[in-house]
Amino acid sequence: MLIIENLTHVYPGGVKALDEVSLTVPRGMFGLLGPNGAGKSTLMRIVATLQAPTSGFVRFDDIDVLKHPEALRRTLGYLPQDFGVYPRVTAQDMLDHMAVLKGFAKAGERRELVEGLLAQVNLWQHRKKALAGFSGGMRQRFGIAQALIGAPSLIIVDEPTAGLDPEERQRFLNLLSEIGENMVVVLSTHIVDDVADLCPRMAIIAGGRIVREGAPQALMASLDGRVWVKTVDKIDMERLRQRHEVISTRLFAGRTLVHVLADHDPGDGFAPIAGGLEDVYFSTLSAQAAA
Amino acid sequence: MLLQVAGFEFRYQLRQPLFWILSAILFAVAMLITGAGSLSIGSASGVHRNSPDLVNQLHLIFSIFFMFVGTAFVAGSVLKDDETGFGPILRTTRLTKFDYLYGRFAGAFAVVCVCLLGVTAASLLGGMAFWLDPDLKGPFLPGAYAYGYLVMALPNVFFTAAAFFTLSTVTRSMGWTFIGVIAFLVLYVITSIAVSRPDLAPIVARWEPFGSGAYEFATRYWTVSERNSLNPPVAGVLLFNRLFVLLLGAGFLVLAYPLSRLQAAGVKADAARRSTWPASAEEPFRPKPALHPAAPPAPPLRDAAWAQMVERTRFDMAHVFKSVAFWAILALGMANAVAILWTITSDDRYSGAVWPVTRILIPALEGGFAIFPMIIAGYFAGDLVWRDRDRRMHEIIDATPAPDWTFVLPKIAAVTLVLWATLLVSVAAAVGIQSSKGYTDFEPAKFLIWYLVPHAVDFAALAILAVFFQVLSPNKFVGWGVLLVWFVGVLTLPRVGWEHGLLFYASPFQSRMPLSDMNGLGAFWIGPWWFRLYDAGLGLLLTALCYALWRRGAESRYAPRFARLPARLRGPAGVMAGLGLVTALGAGAFILVNTNVWNTYRTKTSNEAWQADYERALLRYETVPQPSVVAVKLAVSIHPHQRLLETKGVYELENRTGQPLREVHVRFDRDVVVCALSIQGAWARTAADPRFNYRIFTFDSPMLPGEKRTLSFTTQAAQHGFRNRDNMTSVVDNGTFVNSEEIAPVIGMSRDMLLRDHAARWRQGLKYDLHPPPLNPNPAARQNSYVGHVGWTTADITVTTDADQTPIAPGYKVSDITQNGRRTAHFVTEAPILQFFSVQSARYLVKTERYKGVDLSVYYDPHHPYNVERMETALKASLDYYRANFSPYQFRQARVVEFPDYARFAQSFAGTFPWSEGLGFIADYRDPEKIDMVTYIAAHEFAHQWWAHQIVGADQQGATSLSETLAQYSALQVMRNLYGPDKIRKFLKFELDSYLRARGGEVLEEQPLYKVESDQGYIHYRKGSLVMYRLADEIGEDKVNAALRSLLAQYAFKGAPYPTSLDLVHALRAQAPADKQQLITDLFEMRTLYDVKTTAAASKRRPDGRYDVTLTVSAAKVYADGKGKVLKTPMAEDLWIGLFDAKPGSGKFGPKNVIALEKRPIHSGVQTISFIAPRPPTWAGADPYNELIDRNSDDNLLAVK
Repeated sequence: MLIIENLTHVYPGGVKALDEVSLTVPRGMFGLLGPNGAGKSTLMRIVATLQAPTSGFVRFDDIDVLKHPEALRRTLGYLPQDFGVYPRVTAQDMLDHMAVLKGFAKAGERRELVEGLLAQVNLWQHRKKALAGFSGGMRQRFGIAQALIGAPSLIIVDEPTAGLDPEERQRFLNLLSEIGENMVVVLSTHIVDDVADLCPRMAIIAGGRIVREGAPQALMASLDGRVWVKTVDKIDMERLRQRHEVISTRLFAGRTLVHVLADHDPGDGFAPIAGGLEDVYFSTLSAQAAA
Repeated sequence: MLLQVAGFEFRYQLRQPLFWILSAILFAVAMLITGAGSLSIGSASGVHRNSPDLVNQLHLIFSIFFMFVGTAFVAGSVLKDDETGFGPILRTTRLTKFDYLYGRFAGAFAVVCVCLLGVTAASLLGGMAFWLDPDLKGPFLPGAYAYGYLVMALPNVFFTAAAFFTLSTVTRSMGWTFIGVIAFLVLYVITSIAVSRPDLAPIVARWEPFGSGAYEFATRYWTVSERNSLNPPVAGVLLFNRLFVLLLGAGFLVLAYPLSRLQAAGVKADAARRSTWPASAEEPFRPKPALHPAAPPAPPLRDAAWAQMVERTRFDMAHVFKSVAFWAILALGMANAVAILWTITSDDRYSGAVWPVTRILIPALEGGFAIFPMIIAGYFAGDLVWRDRDRRMHEIIDATPAPDWTFVLPKIAAVTLVLWATLLVSVAAAVGIQSSKGYTDFEPAKFLIWYLVPHAVDFAALAILAVFFQVLSPNKFVGWGVLLVWFVGVLTLPRVGWEHGLLFYASPFQSRMPLSDMNGLGAFWIGPWWFRLYDAGLGLLLTALCYALWRRGAESRYAPRFARLPARLRGPAGVMAGLGLVTALGAGAFILVNTNVWNTYRTKTSNEAWQADYERALLRYETVPQPSVVAVKLAVSIHPHQRLLETKGVYELENRTGQPLREVHVRFDRDVVVCALSIQGAWARTAADPRFNYRIFTFDSPMLPGEKRTLSFTTQAAQHGFRNRDNMTSVVDNGTFVNSEEIAPVIGMSRDMLLRDHAARWRQGLKYDLHPPPLNPNPAARQNSYVGHVGWTTADITVTTDADQTPIAPGYKVSDITQNGRRTAHFVTEAPILQFFSVQSARYLVKTERYKGVDLSVYYDPHHPYNVERMETALKASLDYYRANFSPYQFRQARVVEFPDYARFAQSFAGTFPWSEGLGFIADYRDPEKIDMVTYIAAHEFAHQWWAHQIVGADQQGATSLSETLAQYSALQVMRNLYGPDKIRKFLKFELDSYLRARGGEVLEEQPLYKVESDQGYIHYRKGSLVMYRLADEIGEDKVNAALRSLLAQYAFKGAPYPTSLDLVHALRAQAPADKQQLITDLFEMRTLYDVKTTAAASKRRPDGRYDVTLTVSAAKVYADGKGKVLKTPMAEDLWIGLFDAKPGSGKFGPKNVIALEKRPIHSGVQTISFIAPRPPTWAGADPYNELIDRNSDDNLLAVK
């Protein structure tokens, strides 16, 4: 179990990236959802031992992460939001190199491991090719492969699906779903569907604070009967915004699909709709923005 | 459109940090070079720091640097579009290719021009710096800066910018463009070296693309006053060259248009990528194994740490070895090493070749290769330390459980191993040079112990430092900057008095060891290795700090890293740091005991100060009348392996002054330890400063004229431990060589030990120059000889040394006994000798030949048998000529005695010529065209047995014309007899060029020959040769020799009054006919320069089958003043006019090629000379053998049409 308590991080220059964040993450897939700039990556980096917070406490099982980062690293798999590759190094060589860094000293043992992982993430036929030539999806699959080396019990994946096409994204999520339930997997993302598809538990972070936390189903249940939908013309939007609590708008075939939040039928031609996770997310964000 | 593009580019580049950083660095370096009075660039000393010459040299040098700077800007101006991915957007606009290419170039080149202005500004400010000696600053000449910028630098910068701009548009890669730059530089350096021969200078001047050849050529004989005030006119060869360079640049720019491949770049690159990588969607999904079985849990870390270390090192090494930069730098270093090694072994002084023995190759490698390790260490430390961040891999890497030191140590190891690779490559270059020159005595042990092992340690220390700076710096550019600052500090701090080796961790200069084949490393390795141990300790400490401050994860702020420093130093890192600190402190303490307790810590500055104090305290005693030493009895005991030499001696002093003497002044060399000293009937006054080893004795009763007294002394010359600089090189394990002043007292004050260098004197507050006393025929002014004021004496010297060594001292050996492991030889002189002599001891092979009653011997080291025969032959030829033409030889022996390469000279003592192993012993004469310097040196030193050891000049101006000039003349005649007069031209040409070049560097005043001062070697050697050779040609060799005989008859072996150069001039005048008296005036008493030029030469066949040859010759003659200003004077002299069918001075030229050689009258101005020749000449001209001191001797001869 990953326990984060009162974590605050202020960057030099005064930007408060995290503000008294507390979070408990149980085994299994945990989604951390938030918009760009919410502090997700800072939180991920601190948990991944790459950054020391201004104050606060992080514990994983019985490891005090901030005091003993090296202990956590032995059981950590980390896929950063953004990573490059060395030129002129193949996928296999790089994975092998990472395996050494993760403590696999014996070459034979390593080869078996690396080959297994390459097959696992579907890069087997590309193993002799330079990483620099990989497409975005292939690169992310390589990234998860290196994170899985050594059977970590904490895996952190930071915005893994950003920039992937739908097919690659699906394939990547499939990979993640195969990771066993015995480990803690923190998936940070700004894409609601990632969390909806995969995570039994989640939290929403905005402005450096955790603003909602819970199981997606439970969060969605809280919106039962409170979400209403209507298709309007663009010019009507301004009027609607003044009269209703608009959660989200989406263009569809040239017109605007509006979701509003209301405990009772707001009239105006709105129809009821079952709330999805997206509605949870946007209603939380707009409440946060209003507050 | 083009102008807008250029304007945008200009403004854009000006905003980039690259521009500011580069400008700042270039400004700083240029400022440092100009403003540091002690650093010199090309120009001779005496040239003002703000003179046109220095400004021009600076601009020429920086225009070579600007290859890199210019390329960074102009290539960046087009390549950035592809790097940033902005290219495709740009290419879909209406911008035309022409506007794009040339607009970008124009904008970027304008930035380069601005950057170059920084150099000009720095040279302006640096040259006026307030801390400079006012004598080093001339009047402010604004034109010089404009000239330097516009004429010298700008065309070069335009050419390279254009060329590499074009290359960048072709290669579309910054990396390959820079490789092009490096390749060009290598090619340029190699070609420059290959064509650096005087006869190719006019060609190089035209076509050399940086204009330094042209500038050099235009100013080659300029004097200091010309260099300080003039720019060469932009005409002739210089104009040709500048236009050529500009056109070359323009040509490249034009080529850029058709060759540029920039237009299609974006599309091509994308297409290539697509075709290589199939869309991932097409990959079949394969059944996968479950994840966990394939990923066993990580084993305990301790097992893995070593593997991680090895793997990281391998990975980092591979990164370096796969990079183009490494190979480019290595190739450059290799080319540089080969070029330097080739040069030093092919073109020693007087264009002599030497055998490429290991001993001379190693220092050349250290010198020529030295900057490359610095570049490699700096570059790759930055590259490796920052690689994970630069590649954005650091978050993944840093989150692995690998401990920090598996990141730190491999970086250091990789940089170190790369440096070692360069070391091995340089050895390969050296061995290659040896093989290619047919030298097969490979000495792997010497390479290992003298070079590889010491520098392997030094380079490891350097690698640690370079990595440490990177760990400490916020980015790699700062890290590089810090390293550069450190390197500049290492170079400059010693010049301002901070010399202690303990201040300079990993300095490439501190730990050099003097090398000798005779003495090996001797004891000179001890100090450097203690410094290395000190470096190793500091290196451990720095490594631990690298670990403790290592940047891991996103944290790069200093405060948190320093805050956790103590915690991180608990454990093994702390132990390592502690161990390092203890080692460094221990070694440092021991070093300090050696350098500052057992020995006196001295610096260049403190030595100068000491000399200045010496002068202030003691120069006033210079004229105090002193008794003469008339007999010397010494017992010298040499302990080579203890570096100890003890001397017990007795001088017999005689008062020859004709007046009673109250005082005797006794001085010793600064380092001589005086154990006992007494003078019969005199007591030492204590007033003299003990720092100066100078004692004044007062007689109880005055020493009367003609009275004799004895002086007894015991001294030691020794060194305990090692010094920071100037370790004693005189007493060594094998090859001890001391002269009498280093072991025994000298009576009376002289100027020998005083500071002479003009700038140093000014620094020390001695704001006047030290000239010898003026020329004065009055006998009262001729009481002292110029050789340390010493006179003639007899000597009885016993030398004891280890049994396996041969002791040598002046005089005939009367006994030679070996007992108890010690060998004692007793030497007694039969003829008077100067009281200035040498004692030597080493393990020698001896070759002795008895020739006409004289034993001619060469004592040489077994490593150097090459030229022993040649030396013997030279001694014989010299003996024959000198005995026949001058006077009998005063000794029954002549001995050449080799000494270690701790100094490079040959010297003449009584019947004995100590001769450095670095000079002539390894000369390579397989090519018979090379000038035979060995014979020349032998003949010169032997001639000193007459010119110094029979007559010695009074301590006045002109004294050395009686010794050095006459020895040059004598040696020339020996050479002429051996090789024939037609071969002498090459030699005279060398002497002429040396003289003309050196007079350009005269700081104070060029004296005429008869007033030459003892440190004006270019006059008494170089000009002296030309003067005497011409005189012998004009009045006859026999007349000159008759004059010299008369001089010997009058002064040989006589004490005061000693002869002066006036005696020489008088003797020559007495022999010369009336019409040559003016010539003697011109040669000896004036600074006469000629300019003879053949402007046309044509031959036409006559009806009788012979040829009419017509030459047009222009002539001019000037008198120069001491500062180089000239005054025209009418000329009417008979000069040699020659017709040849081969070029005089060329390899195959010989007597058979001379068709006609006649004296013809030549006057100022233009004249036509006609010959009727039996066959058609190919070459013709006036003064074909360069006997005149001709300011341009290359235009004397002309090919005949």
